[in-house]
Amino acid sequence: MTRKSFRIFATAGAAVAALALSSCSGSAADDGPVTLEYWTWAPAIPEVAEQWNAENPDIQVKVVEAAGADDIVAKLLAAQRAGEGPDIVAAEYQKLPNLVVSDAGLDISEYITDDLRDDFTDATWNLTTVGDGVYAVPQDTGPMVFLYRADLFEQYGLEVPTTWDEYAALAAQVREVAPDSYLGGYPDDTSTLAAYAQPLGAQWWSTDGDAWEVGIDDVETQRVADFWQPLVRDDVVDTTHFFTPEWNTMMNDGTLLSWTAGVWAPGTIESVAPDTAGKWRIAKMPSWDGETTAGLMGGSSAMVSKTSEHPEEAVKFLEWLNGGEGSILLAEGGLFPASIEGQESLSSLPVPAIVEGQDDFWTVAADIASDTAPVTWGPNVQVAFDAWSDSIKSVVASGGEFTDALTATQDATVADLKKTGFTVK
Amino acid sequence: MSSLTQGPPEALVTNPTSERQDTVRERKRRGSIRPTLAPWAFLAPAIVLFVLFLVIPIGYAIYLSFVGLRVDGGAFGKRTQVFVGFENYVSYLTNPEFIASFGRLALFGFIAVPLTLGLALLFALLLDLPGVKATRFARTAIFLPYAVPGVIATLLWGFMYLPTTSPFNYALNAIGLPDFDFLSSNSIYGSLANIAIWAAVGFNMIILYTALRSIPAEIYEAAKLDGAPEWRIAWHIKIPLLAPALLLTLLFSLIGTLQAYGEPMTLRTLSSSISYSFFPLMKIYRDAFGTDDVSGAAAASVVMALGTLLISILLLRVLQRRTFDNAR
Repeated sequence: MTRKSFRIFATAGAAVAALALSSCSGSAADDGPVTLEYWTWAPAIPEVAEQWNAENPDIQVKVVEAAGADDIVAKLLAAQRAGEGPDIVAAEYQKLPNLVVSDAGLDISEYITDDLRDDFTDATWNLTTVGDGVYAVPQDTGPMVFLYRADLFEQYGLEVPTTWDEYAALAAQVREVAPDSYLGGYPDDTSTLAAYAQPLGAQWWSTDGDAWEVGIDDVETQRVADFWQPLVRDDVVDTTHFFTPEWNTMMNDGTLLSWTAGVWAPGTIESVAPDTAGKWRIAKMPSWDGETTAGLMGGSSAMVSKTSEHPEEAVKFLEWLNGGEGSILLAEGGLFPASIEGQESLSSLPVPAIVEGQDDFWTVAADIASDTAPVTWGPNVQVAFDAWSDSIKSVVASGGEFTDALTATQDATVADLKKTGFTVK
Repeated sequence: MSSLTQGPPEALVTNPTSERQDTVRERKRRGSIRPTLAPWAFLAPAIVLFVLFLVIPIGYAIYLSFVGLRVDGGAFGKRTQVFVGFENYVSYLTNPEFIASFGRLALFGFIAVPLTLGLALLFALLLDLPGVKATRFARTAIFLPYAVPGVIATLLWGFMYLPTTSPFNYALNAIGLPDFDFLSSNSIYGSLANIAIWAAVGFNMIILYTALRSIPAEIYEAAKLDGAPEWRIAWHIKIPLLAPALLLTLLFSLIGTLQAYGEPMTLRTLSSSISYSFFPLMKIYRDAFGTDDVSGAAAASVVMALGTLLISILLLRVLQRRTFDNAR
């Protein structure tokens, strides 16, 4: 290579290097007001944060709707590996352990004041405690409720089921009195399956010293799987996955009479089946053996990112947002707050349009929320979630055993833990 | 596409030795080194872009495929990147779900590829018949679906498949037949293939039609003088002469099949018959961005890329020699 051509290559190389470097440089700390970047998908946050910004000129919060709950983990990890990322990021409770072992979250124990600690129940703090550290401030929660069409229940002369045995009998009754309708759907969604098994005492993930124990294929969840299999086989329950356009239609036209889901469900139905406003009611989800605890489906927290340069200010903001005043605003914005004060404030709010007419809606909801099963999620929840929803669909299509899908989920979860280097008992 | 239709680059045709001698002679005559530099200067932008956007990302993907995130100990230990050798490759090549996704892809390809090429050939031959009217309109009409973006096309078909909105089911009901479930686990392959065929026939038809138009008319005249009907001309003259173009479209279709992703991904929200790992690329996406196994996804990508390369080379080697030798 001649000298001149070398120069051309050197210039090109320098350009490459410059490009690579420019994308790595982080933002330097400023002396003046602090600006916190906050990635979230929750609806009420931008308006509530504006109020904070108006009252706190020194700590400004910039809300970015970066991605939905499913994509936000990948986006956060990609941003952090590139040396960037937000200060605060919304994290579903079940994704938090994954974020912690991926080294994306910051242990904020040292910034948590006693006031903040008192804002939530111990069971709620348990959801954001991973190992020895607290990695997020709880935001909203999703205790399971039985949401049903009161008008159609009355029309067909149906009773709200209090146990799962009654549920099964009722599902068969619905097929007789209204052959085109179903009482509800089976849990092809993993978070629903988990919420059904939690009141039985199922512990899908637990730690014993340094080792993980996976209990997805335990007797409790097997019982749930065995309960649903004959209902699906006899076409007594529907197999349409929720949130599909088909399901939306069925919720709207009265084909589906109930949905057992998190307490956020009325808000969801409001967007997919607005015509049914006022026709729904909630009740406690059916119990297996008369137990009172409810399962949890969904709910999320606000995590302080590892790359944040202002963790103290971030926790200060999160204390206001999720603890007292802010959580009341969040409740008004449509979230079911995790804080005690936020949940107490609910009773003064108008009930969601979808359950209009049920005056005790908030009391019922708060009552269910006060007694939820303790849940520990593991570091590879997504693997288990995908494994169940994939394998149960193929089992239903091929006519196999539901418990086989459960075993497949357990095996996939354990194999993934082992592959990552965890000790599994 | 254009690189396949152009002739071989000049550099490959010229004898390299003689060129070197030429330039050496020339340099001596002019006393300058400029002629050897000029080509590099012209090439530099392309080389820089090639390195930046092809060599570096591919190299990085290969690097990623040999490392993995492993926990440094404890139940909540942090995951750190370590060298794992061929572990990612082994675990993917023995993963039943990954292998099953290739099975599903093959089933989809067996429906989509022959039908796409068959229909494209049929339309091209029909358009090429003497005396056919409104060829420009027909050509555009057949080509038009190709211009519809993949996601839009899938949503459009998706709503025609959904039982509640399907016009097909409306028509079936009108004549007293029951609904047909286009999104069930058995019919989903046909439904997916239908979208792919609908979108790709026009593009392939244009390639085949263009190739047909370049066949000299004297050959047809000779056949007609011998009394050959149009279908014999098509069977014995047109199709053999189309072999190179058919090969090209087959190659495109196979590569397109391996890259099938948009249609099942979009239909997934409408149907519960499509799993997260229905097709290989969906599994790769899921592993990289859902379960944070970027290394595994990189290994699977390398396997996919090598597979595509192998199929392309085999197809061109085995078939091209035969078809092009016959054509000559």
